[in-house]
Amino acid sequence: MSEQSSVTLTLTLDGKPVTFHEGETLYEVATRHGKAIPTLCYDPRLAAFGACRMCVVEVEGARTPVASCTTVAAAGSNVSTTSERIEKHRKTLLELIASENPALEVDPLRGYASQELATLVDAYDAHTGRFAGEHSGRSKIEDDNPFILRDYDLCISCYRCVRVCAEQEGDYAISILNRGFHTRIATEFDGLLRDSACTFCGQCIQTCPTGALADRKALRFAEMEMIAAD
Amino acid sequence: MTSSSNRALIDQWIEEPAPLLPILHAFHDRDGYLSEEALREIAKALRIPLADLYGTVTFYHHFSTDPDRPQTAPRVCTGPVCRLHGSQDLLDELADQGATPMACAGRCDEPTPVLSGHNVYIGQHADALEIAPSLLPPFNPGGVEECVFSAIREPGRAMLDGYRRTGGYEGLAQAVGAMAPAEVIELVRESGLAGRGGAGFPTAVKWAAVADAESEPKTIVCNADEGEPGCFKDRAILDHDPHAVIEGIAIAAYATGASRGFIYLRYEYPHTYSVLERAIAEAYEAGYLGDDILGSGFTFDLYLRRGAGAYICGEETSLLNSLEGKHPFPRNRPPYPVTHGFEDLPTAVNNVETLAAASHILRKGAAWYQGLGLDDRAGTKVISLSGDIQRPGNYEVPFGLPLKTLLYDWAGGPLPGRTIQAVTMAGLSGGFLAGDDLDVTLDEPGIRAKGSFLGAGGIMVFDDSRDMVDVAHNAMEFFAHESCGKCFPCRIGTQRLTERLNGGGPADLDDWLTEVQDIGYTMKELSACGLGMAAPAITDSLIRYFPEQVEGHVKA
Repeated sequence: MSEQSSVTLTLTLDGKPVTFHEGETLYEVATRHGKAIPTLCYDPRLAAFGACRMCVVEVEGARTPVASCTTVAAAGSNVSTTSERIEKHRKTLLELIASENPALEVDPLRGYASQELATLVDAYDAHTGRFAGEHSGRSKIEDDNPFILRDYDLCISCYRCVRVCAEQEGDYAISILNRGFHTRIATEFDGLLRDSACTFCGQCIQTCPTGALADRKALRFAEMEMIAAD
Repeated sequence: MTSSSNRALIDQWIEEPAPLLPILHAFHDRDGYLSEEALREIAKALRIPLADLYGTVTFYHHFSTDPDRPQTAPRVCTGPVCRLHGSQDLLDELADQGATPMACAGRCDEPTPVLSGHNVYIGQHADALEIAPSLLPPFNPGGVEECVFSAIREPGRAMLDGYRRTGGYEGLAQAVGAMAPAEVIELVRESGLAGRGGAGFPTAVKWAAVADAESEPKTIVCNADEGEPGCFKDRAILDHDPHAVIEGIAIAAYATGASRGFIYLRYEYPHTYSVLERAIAEAYEAGYLGDDILGSGFTFDLYLRRGAGAYICGEETSLLNSLEGKHPFPRNRPPYPVTHGFEDLPTAVNNVETLAAASHILRKGAAWYQGLGLDDRAGTKVISLSGDIQRPGNYEVPFGLPLKTLLYDWAGGPLPGRTIQAVTMAGLSGGFLAGDDLDVTLDEPGIRAKGSFLGAGGIMVFDDSRDMVDVAHNAMEFFAHESCGKCFPCRIGTQRLTERLNGGGPADLDDWLTEVQDIGYTMKELSACGLGMAAPAITDSLIRYFPEQVEGHVKA
């Protein structure tokens, strides 16, 4: 989150003048004024990361769209949160992301944010089968701890889990292995969570936008209820 | 091994700035790989979370965490030019020694380099590999005046005595002895010198921004992480004229008020590392570095750091994260390194060639450098020329020289019986130029008008015997391999484009073209750094110049 001062400034947002405070990002200004900007790597509790590029907006005078989450608002600028160009990019991005993983049907019980990707893909009608190719994830099925399911087949490498673990919990239990399309989320030496600095706090589950991390307790409870109902 | 010897390796570096990379290299050199025990001890000593350190180590190609794939196992260059010279066969020949491929290792003028431990061998067969010094730049035929190569062929120039005999350190003496820092910046401004690593940003503007920034200490970083395929100029400059670069760094430090500096050298140049180690020691001994330089009261320390195999670390903000021991993702900008660079303090990151040119400019003047370019263009650019060409090598051209003059008059043209089908620009980052677009002058406005850019000055030539889709596939595979994995358009886009250049994607030509162009458009406009923005130049220019080869590929 950005530091805010008391100075009130003005910019033009989708054709209307709006006020903001020095240091606010374009994303913060826009959402505060009711604009729905799609994001995948964003979590308001974490430092802006700028990875998913879904939150791009057009700023008059800039050659290319800018990531609104990492761009500090400037007085007098003219910002569009939507345009044909932006929407085309967002759809292409979502089609690319959808092509990474085999499935999008995710049980809402997996976690608080688990429907974020599926919802966006539906909203943009982006599950088109374009850009088919190799899948990026690799689930850690051997991690049989009773709390956190590590179903990385669904992972989109937004690193919200890595960042919440470091920035909010201070555990630094997981990090980013390898590079590019082959990045994976891993503990030290690519081991099991129980052998790592993980405290099983569950923050990573609740920030995961795809359900790649899931709350095994909740899933078990649902299973038990289903058995009881039978 | 005992934990006290581990501790000794750590203690050797821990008090220096940017200690992580040298400590990792110390263990890697000693053990041949980075063991779990070593990483645990390093994490503890440097107070880095272990998972974070492990992730960072796996980011670099050349760090091994596997004792069965030791640091000494051969790595064979499979870059665009070495492939033309059968590097795949060489890799197969060396398979029994555990050889693995590596991305372009900057020896395109003498393929194929094989890296093993601290040695680089060159040759095309396993039984004919030898260690050989970097080639000196060939002379140009017309005796066209040079800047950074003007004295590089002088005997003994790499040693301090030889360097001084040919005017060395006169520029630094002039700067610290007779000029205010602002006057040095003004001189560089008048010369028209701009960043020679690819971005072309005016050097004086960068230096002035650092000089004007309020926080301290300030830092100069010499970016010697020459990873762009087809670029090998920094190796030649550093191997044969290391003091010119050190002098340039000291001049930049004086101009900006920096008290510390780094040379960040790519892993694949181990010989250059020893050249620089010796040259830095000589410069300290003679009073050109360290306390009270040449009695001027100006103090500046220079440290040598070695990368570990990651193209993205040539991107200045990745480089800074790498130096700081962090995961080498590029940073979001602004803020820029001139105010928030190394350790979040003002930092000028300059390319090797830029800094070497600065030494010459201080000695010979702004008007002299300005006047080296043709017409109204200022100065020179070193071009690394390789591939299907008679005389590959590093050529320092005046800005404005026609590309065809370089290709045919200077470098002898294509091999007998062949014609030039295409050349790359900016290594691979500028994509291809072909056909009528080869009638262009070597300067940024000229080449940008053709939809490409000159960048760091790597030009690879492909003659009419080459399958351009295959060349493009290899190029895109490089970008996918080197994509850091942070921003989505590059991480997924480079992978999908690689697949589509290798038989994947829609079988219908129009659908194939739409997919490739849609991916490219989003990568160009939304990627977070230059890698993802540049990579689609390969597919765009392939489709533009070679539609029939693309059609043949998709229909097959």
